[in-house]
Amino acid sequence: MSLWARIAGWAALIFGLLYFFVPLSGLFEFSLRARRGVYSFDAYVRVLADPQFQATFSFSVVMALVTIVIGILIVVPTAFWVRLKMPWARPYVEFLTLMPLVIPAIVIVFGYIRLYNTSSWLPLTGSVFGTNVLLAFGYTILALPYMYRAVDTGLRTIDVATLTEAAQILGAGWATILGRIILPNVLPAVLSGAFLTFAIVIGEFTLAALLDRPAFGPYLQRIGANKPYEPFALSVIAFGITWGCLALIQLVTRFQKTAPVKA
Amino acid sequence: MTFLSLSHIQKSFGQVQVVSDFNMNIEKGEFVSFLGPSGCGKTTVLRMIAGFETPSGGTITVAGKNQSGLKPNQRNIGMVFQAYALFPNMNVSDNVAFGLKVAGRPKDEIDGRVKEMLGLIKLEHLADRFPYQLSGGQQQRVALARALAPKPQVLLLDEPLSALDAKIRVSLREEIRMIQQQLGITTVFVTHDQEEALSISDRIVVMNAGCADQIGTPAEIYNRPTTRFVASFVGTLNLIEAKVIDPATNRVAIGDQGVTLREPLGPVKAGDTISLALRPEAGSIAEGAKGDTALTGEVVSSNFLGSVVRTRMRVGTSVISFDMFNSPGLVPPAVGETVTLRFTATDLLVIND
Repeated sequence: MSLWARIAGWAALIFGLLYFFVPLSGLFEFSLRARRGVYSFDAYVRVLADPQFQATFSFSVVMALVTIVIGILIVVPTAFWVRLKMPWARPYVEFLTLMPLVIPAIVIVFGYIRLYNTSSWLPLTGSVFGTNVLLAFGYTILALPYMYRAVDTGLRTIDVATLTEAAQILGAGWATILGRIILPNVLPAVLSGAFLTFAIVIGEFTLAALLDRPAFGPYLQRIGANKPYEPFALSVIAFGITWGCLALIQLVTRFQKTAPVKA
Repeated sequence: MTFLSLSHIQKSFGQVQVVSDFNMNIEKGEFVSFLGPSGCGKTTVLRMIAGFETPSGGTITVAGKNQSGLKPNQRNIGMVFQAYALFPNMNVSDNVAFGLKVAGRPKDEIDGRVKEMLGLIKLEHLADRFPYQLSGGQQQRVALARALAPKPQVLLLDEPLSALDAKIRVSLREEIRMIQQQLGITTVFVTHDQEEALSISDRIVVMNAGCADQIGTPAEIYNRPTTRFVASFVGTLNLIEAKVIDPATNRVAIGDQGVTLREPLGPVKAGDTISLALRPEAGSIAEGAKGDTALTGEVVSSNFLGSVVRTRMRVGTSVISFDMFNSPGLVPPAVGETVTLRFTATDLLVIND
């Protein structure tokens, strides 16, 4: 590589890092200015001590976990079956899983409200539990593109057909095959999808706001409209959660007990 | 007594007939190899025995029980795959124990059986290793132990040695045969490698285009091929065109030289053309030999192959190869030289097309 190419490469990298970190550092710096004249974590202390923060964050964490479980239960068997028995259907399923990226969340939530309102045949919005169920399914839809892709990529790294046949001939049924062979072998991929789902659910605003649920996303918006420093502290916390998820993805990928897959 | 019976088995994928009217009876404890080129249907037959494919026609019985409608996990059959197929998330012990755990066997029994199986394949010291920490040969031995652990009625081996290097292949095939004989388990082995099939089988089924061309012991398959396909697929063989002179005395002409065969020519008449087969190792050069079991021709090439020197000579329109064992004093015939090849009457076989 020539000297100029090397310099250009480093320059591009430094520009990229500055582009990313300068606004973030500005955000962080501003979040520390809650006390006049000195830097402090006052904004963070106030946010973390706010009962609303604790309630909405806990609610969103629980919803994220429920969404992850629903996502795994739907996506893992589907992706497995498509890969094993219906490879011809793969492009169609991929297309379907991409739909949430092109259909805005507001369209989905209005569709839900129209279909499941109190005067419909299944009045889910008529109770808190029903609305939470609706919200969890909505989150599952929003996370579907990421979860499906993560699981499908994981399945690509193992010989699904032969492992399934090897388990079958040893007496295993479908539940055993999925639970003890397929899922453990795509666990890093499933966890990647799970962490992405977690990050999406924690910050999601539209579904939670329009279904009137006390989630973290609407809380973020409310705080942002009314307080000067706390929204910035919350943004830093939200970034921290997302990065934490990404770090966990890296960690679980390193801990998988299989040989690195050749490209 | 027949233990595994395949009766009039057929299999079609859409319009393509992959297996047509396949019949075979296998005795208990027998080691049978399905030998044939890629696409001949041997793996399809194996997969039908395992239950992964459903026959389009015919019946499969194991120990007198019809296997139709039984899923693979209900058949009590062990199988070893070409790609090892060890479960990557489990160590060697857990892989071997898998079938027993699924069957709900007591823990003590599972531990004992796993130990026994690892002892059988001499890998007790690798019990805690994961598949990616094993060599190909070790993985395949673990796959064999895993298949045998639940004490299956039949063991199926689907080209288990294909992915291994030559040296490991030879040692592992001997190990497989030893274990099979030790346990007395009925085994079906699929391979496209004739040497493998010839070296470890009780019987070989040579398959061609979905049919069993010939079923016999390794010696029968090698020494007495009954079809042109078997003759050309198993070993190196000279296929020689000959003209019938007198069917009553089994007299034929190769080029302008007369030869008398030991075996009957079949339903042919004088003037018909038939195919004869002669193994390269069956003949030897004999200066001045003449008569019904000698052919004279001109040497067209001579190749040094290490342990043998393979010489090709032209007789009429046919080119016949013959081997001479290499020795320090051997002087191969020169190209253009006229030599006489002598053989015994039983070496020359009549081939059915």
